[in-house]
Amino acid sequence: MAKIIEVSQLSFSYPEEDGNPSSPALHDVSLDIEEGEFLAILGHNGCGKSTLAKHFNGLLKAESGSVKVMNMDASEEQNLLEIRRNVGMVFQNPDNQLIATVVDEDVAFALENLGVPYPEMVQRVDEALELVGMTKYRHHAPHRLSGGQKQRVAIAGVLAMRPRCIVLDEPTAMLDPQGRREVMKTIRRLNREQGITVVLITHYMDEAVQADRVVVMGEGEIILDGTPREVFQNVGLLHSLSLDVPQTAELMFALRQEDIKVPIAVLSVEECLEVLEKMLGGAKK
Amino acid sequence: MLKDVTIGQFFPGNSFVHRLDPRMKLLLTLLYVVALFLVPDFWGFLVIGALMGLVVAFSGISLRVVFRGLKSLIFIIVFTAFFNILYGGGEPLFPGISWLGWLKAEGVRNALFMIIRIILLILGTSYLTYTTSPVMLTDAMERLFRPLKVLRIPVHELAMMMTIALRFIPTLIDETDKIINAQKARGADFETGNIVRRARALVPILIPLLISAFRRAEELADAMECRCYHGGEGRTRYKVYSFSWRDWVALALMLAALSLIILMVIF
Repeated sequence: MAKIIEVSQLSFSYPEEDGNPSSPALHDVSLDIEEGEFLAILGHNGCGKSTLAKHFNGLLKAESGSVKVMNMDASEEQNLLEIRRNVGMVFQNPDNQLIATVVDEDVAFALENLGVPYPEMVQRVDEALELVGMTKYRHHAPHRLSGGQKQRVAIAGVLAMRPRCIVLDEPTAMLDPQGRREVMKTIRRLNREQGITVVLITHYMDEAVQADRVVVMGEGEIILDGTPREVFQNVGLLHSLSLDVPQTAELMFALRQEDIKVPIAVLSVEECLEVLEKMLGGAKK
Repeated sequence: MLKDVTIGQFFPGNSFVHRLDPRMKLLLTLLYVVALFLVPDFWGFLVIGALMGLVVAFSGISLRVVFRGLKSLIFIIVFTAFFNILYGGGEPLFPGISWLGWLKAEGVRNALFMIIRIILLILGTSYLTYTTSPVMLTDAMERLFRPLKVLRIPVHELAMMMTIALRFIPTLIDETDKIINAQKARGADFETGNIVRRARALVPILIPLLISAFRRAEELADAMECRCYHGGEGRTRYKVYSFSWRDWVALALMLAALSLIILMVIF
């Protein structure tokens, strides 16, 4: 598979503020993102995950090291438009990323900027709204929608550009459980059915579990990188980074500390049930 | 309390007025304001009022909504009326009653005249924003004022700023309500005390609001950049406008009213 984003030895620090010395937000980070994969980036607050994400489409420029998107250097000004068209980004607060006062006008915003001709624009807006299941609401005002719906509109606004990759920076952090489910379902579908590369930044374990690959960050560095199953084996390490693990893995971890032999990376409730049944002597219903 | 502000809001719909071309609506509103200021006497208001009545009838937005918005402007209206009465000349209205001597016929007439004018002014401009989405409105401004680019006036940038400002009004109103409640929960008192005290009580509302507005602005700028915003150059438009029979009917009515008023001024 082709690499869509290649980050090599990236370091970055924010300028110092009010006498607070700047500490590096990213330190020597290298990461390749494959076309079509669903990658989750985990980490607690201030670990640099948002900073890293902002390098994926040139919102921030690498201090040292490099970021390449589809073989284009993200620090070159003339590449930015093409990069941003292909790597869309959705932020945490839906209120702060909707520009227009009517849903379909907002979805069209990126297309207007890209100079897409009118007939094609209409078609792409329809298509994007359809993909996130918001066609019904196309003439609504965004501030009257629920959080999950707003966030889906924001995703549609990015999808209209027909990007190859979508970066979502904690898109569900401000949503209620219902909204979180809606958004996660949409993201998964886009990845599976449309083949769009998804980079999901989150601190919810149950969301990270759904990814193909999980990268764990701490203090501006990448600490773990692997499939959810591999990553969630390291329960102790994750705890030391003040991160949770999925509750099922937590249970297995506790059992193992009591010297009960169970596999550790058990990620779904069904799987967990199976393991427990086996452990208790294979009681069949 | 803040929910009552309806000025500048947009009510989506599909009525005759909604479907007018925004450029035409903007032009009509300009003509309406001109006509309103030309009106020489109360008969003129009848013409404008009739026109406004048509707008209300064919917009599907009830007058009640507007009057709720008017409440927030009651101060300006009362203020204007007060000074018009105070400085109006002419004969006393009630010659027999000495303590009502300041109530002069001319002043009361002027005051009434101004009140009607202000209310009609607000009505007209309100219906423009009620029936035209801010994006369409700024679009229309951008298109109508495009020639001003020659004078180095940043038409696109101004239009974009307007769009964003309008888009954030409901968001910031919600936020203000939240801050007010948060400060009340901590024992802040906005209802008692003299005017200085009350004004001072607003500081703990305004500062958090301002800070959050800046934070929002920063995030919005990022979001806009992410969606390839790079100024007005090479932009296409989602909305394509064309004048229809509706626009010409509306224009004809407006011009008829305007000429009627001009006739009133002359004769």
